[in-house]
Order: sequence, then structure tokens, then C-alpha cells
Amino acid sequence: MIIDDFLWRAGLGASVLAAACGPIGCFILWRRMAYVGESVAHMGLLGAALGLLMGVNALLGTAALAVIAALVMARAADRTIPAGTFVGIVGHIGLALGFVVLSLMETVRTDLLGYLFGDVLALTDRDLIAIAAVGIVVLGVTAVIWKPLLRAAAGGPIAAAEGGSSPLAQTGFLILTAVLVAFGLKVVGALLIVALLIIPPAAARPLAKTPEAMAIRAAILGAAAAPLGLAASLGSDAPAGPCIVLAAGALFALTSIAAAISSSALAKKAR
Amino acid sequence: MTEPLITARGLSLVAGRLTILNDISLAIHRGEIVTVIGPNGSGKTTLLKALLGLIRIKGEIVRRPGLRIGYVPQQYAPDPSLPMTVHRFLDLFAGHAAGCAALERVGIADAHDRQLATLSGGELARVLLARAIAAKPDLLVLDEPLSGVDISGEAALYHLIADLRDELSCGILLVSHDLHVVMGKTDRVVCLNHHICCQGAPHAVAQDPAFLELFGDRSDLKLYPHHHDHAHSPSGAAIHDH
Repeated sequence: MIIDDFLWRAGLGASVLAAACGPIGCFILWRRMAYVGESVAHMGLLGAALGLLMGVNALLGTAALAVIAALVMARAADRTIPAGTFVGIVGHIGLALGFVVLSLMETVRTDLLGYLFGDVLALTDRDLIAIAAVGIVVLGVTAVIWKPLLRAAAGGPIAAAEGGSSPLAQTGFLILTAVLVAFGLKVVGALLIVALLIIPPAAARPLAKTPEAMAIRAAILGAAAAPLGLAASLGSDAPAGPCIVLAAGALFALTSIAAAISSSALAKKAR
Repeated sequence: MTEPLITARGLSLVAGRLTILNDISLAIHRGEIVTVIGPNGSGKTTLLKALLGLIRIKGEIVRRPGLRIGYVPQQYAPDPSLPMTVHRFLDLFAGHAAGCAALERVGIADAHDRQLATLSGGELARVLLARAIAAKPDLLVLDEPLSGVDISGEAALYHLIADLRDELSCGILLVSHDLHVVMGKTDRVVCLNHHICCQGAPHAVAQDPAFLELFGDRSDLKLYPHHHDHAHSPSGAAIHDH
């Protein structure tokens, strides 16, 4: 079978992106911030629309708006009003507005689905290089700010009260999340990018006894979901982005079932 | 007395039409145990959070430069999605040897390799205390630290807290609603109900009219030798018969 260039690019790009999403996604899980990630992604769509409208590029617009949204929304989480609700409202306004702006632009109207669900098969060589660079930078920075982030995730108010959670690391984490969301828009789209951030870490959870092990396994599972999803997409002629998410979901189901079986076996042994 | 570890002046917090804290001034020195008591919703936890810098508040808070704080929050639920053992949790905040010694000190050395999320409430309370003392803080801040600890363990842990004050020569700020165990080991009681109703040594506070109004007559606390000279109405109020 001949594997076309675009498939190589799609597989490699999605794998690298999903791998970079793994460790950052762990923090999103540990700190119960999935809804923030989702709203940042929704704002990213508005960013893409505004970027196209102003004639800069969609990626730049997405990244800019996602970073701003992430920083603003994390501050909202400090308030006493229901932060989840506030973040949800802002995110959905961003999604709706982004959708409206995109649909008003004649030339890109046909690409709407691509922005919502990604268009990984359309990755160019330049996209691939950009994603590879982003993946390396994200993983590198995550490693550098790992300890203060972990302290904040494990200690919550303790770390904040004792001065153990560096605000710089927190900001760094939010920017990394936003950058992943921006680049993920092309791969799995605004509606599904959060799936790449939360499903591989969730799938990795039963396989790990330390935070580091969970992050590494999340990266590996994410990277594995990409080619699996692409293969499924190729076989079924279904869209690639959703198939990658489904593959990640299948891995999650597998590790969850395996964990349930092994824990019930342990319980039997104990009895 | 020496320079206080932390000084608060004129702390006030108003939420809507509700005054949560009204003009609170407080200083904590090295080597003293200060206990804040007050009914539910009297602003105890809010005051603690303000002193820790976790919430913004009107007024002035001065920390001694380089002040190291050990904090045990009232509520702490490790997320089960985070795989982390007790010793790893302690390592994040202090050296490994210090962490092990602290676990030993609070009597839970055997929890060393357990996952945080599998601990019971009482075990978690001890682990949190161990974590707070592992880094040898100047000021220990304990917010209802022993919820979930059984009664016998509770008494032992309050003894331990008093011993820790001497060992670490730290100041201790404690919030509790459990008057029984608290009062005996405390140097200074601060009675809070949005404002400071009264403060001073436990036996003095226990006789203060403001304390009596909030908690009723608590001569059952046996803080000083006394003769029981009254009965109680069903509501708990004292009925004097002479």
C-alpha cells in the first residue's frame, strides 16, 4: 500500500501535538480545569475568525485570543462567583461570535467544519515543522516548570499560602495550554481539542503510580491515538479529527476496563 | 516582647451588605499559641485566609521578612486523578529526611507509601500536619486541623501541637470550634464574631461577658478551680439560685 505524503504529515503532526498535550492535560485533570480548556478553545475559534477578518493569519489570531482568554479565565477562577459558569458563558459567547464572523466571510464559509472539527489531512510541511517546534517547546517548558506546577496541583491553597506555587509557572501553564489549543484547532478543531488534553491523561491514570509516570504515559497514549484514529478514518472514510478523538476514547475505555478487572481480581484475592 | 511574626491592623471585609470582618487587629509572636474561636460563620476561616494572603482584604498585614509559614487548611481533598504517595507529597515541600521525621512525629510513619487519595480523614489530617511541620516553619497556621481525627487521637495531637511550639519555637495560630481541647493548651484565646469580642488568657476569656454571650457558661471546660453554683435551663443558659 502506498502511503501518501499527506497521511505521513497528518499522522506525525497529530502524534506530536497529542504527545505535547499529555503532560499539560494531566494538570488540567488534576486541577479540574477541563471547562477552562474548553472555553479557551471556543475563544480560539473567535480568534481564528478575527485573524482571517483582519487579514493576518488564523493561527496568529487563535493563539492571541486563546492566550488572553486563558489568562482572564484563570483569574475568574479566583473570584467568589461560580467560576465555571462565568468561564462557560464567556467561552460560548466566543464560540457563537466566532461562528457568526466566519459565516459572514464568503471565502471561508466552506471551511467552517474544518475549524470546528479540524482538517488534519490538510497539514502542510510548514504546518508540520511549526507543530514539531511547538511540541518540543511545550514539552521542554513543562519539564522546567514541573515542580511548582505539581506543588500547586497537589497542595492547592497550601502552596499558595506558603508561597510554594510560583505565579510565573501558573502563567506559563496557561500560555502553554492556549498554544496547544491554537495549534490543535487545525488538527482536531475547536470542539474537540480539549479531548486531546483530557482523554489521554485520563487513560493514563490507571497505569500510573506517580505524577511523572502519568504524564509520560499520557504523552505516549496521545501519540498512539493519532495513527490509530487516522487508520480508522482511512478505513471508514470518516473525518480524521473525530476519529483520532475516538481512538483516544477507545484507549481510555481499554485502560479503565483493565483497571476495573485487576482491582476486582485483587479484591477477590484479598478475600 | 520580640518583634511579632505577623501583625494585622484594621482588617475589614464587607461582602454585599454583610460585614464578615470588622476592624480586626492581631499580632502573633514566636513561641505563643493563639487560638481563634467563634461560632460558625463568624469569619474565622476568612481571617486566616486574609492573614495568609489568600484573599484580598482592607487593612494592613505585615509579615516578618523571610517568614516561613506552615499551613494546614480546613478542607483539603487531594484529587483522585493525581497519583501521589504520602512521601512524595511531603518531598514536594521539604527534604525527604525531614518528611520522614515529621511523619514519625505525628505517629503515621506507616503511611509513607500510601496513595494520598486512599487516606481516611484522620490519616489525612495527620499527613497535612506532618507536611506543615516538615519544613520547620516560623508560623504554623492550623484551620480546624483535626477534623476527622478520633477523640483520643485528638487529645494526643493537641499535646503534640503544644510540644511542636517548643521544638520548633514557632508561633501557632489555631482556629477551632472545639473549646474543650483547645483552651487548655492555648496562651491566648481570640473570641471572634465578625469583630474581636474579647481576647486574653483562656481562664480570663472564659469569664468574659462577651464569651459567655457567644458560648454560654462553659465551666465544664475546667479551666480554673471553681464551684458549680448554678443550674442550666433547657436552652443551656445559666440559672443562678442565689
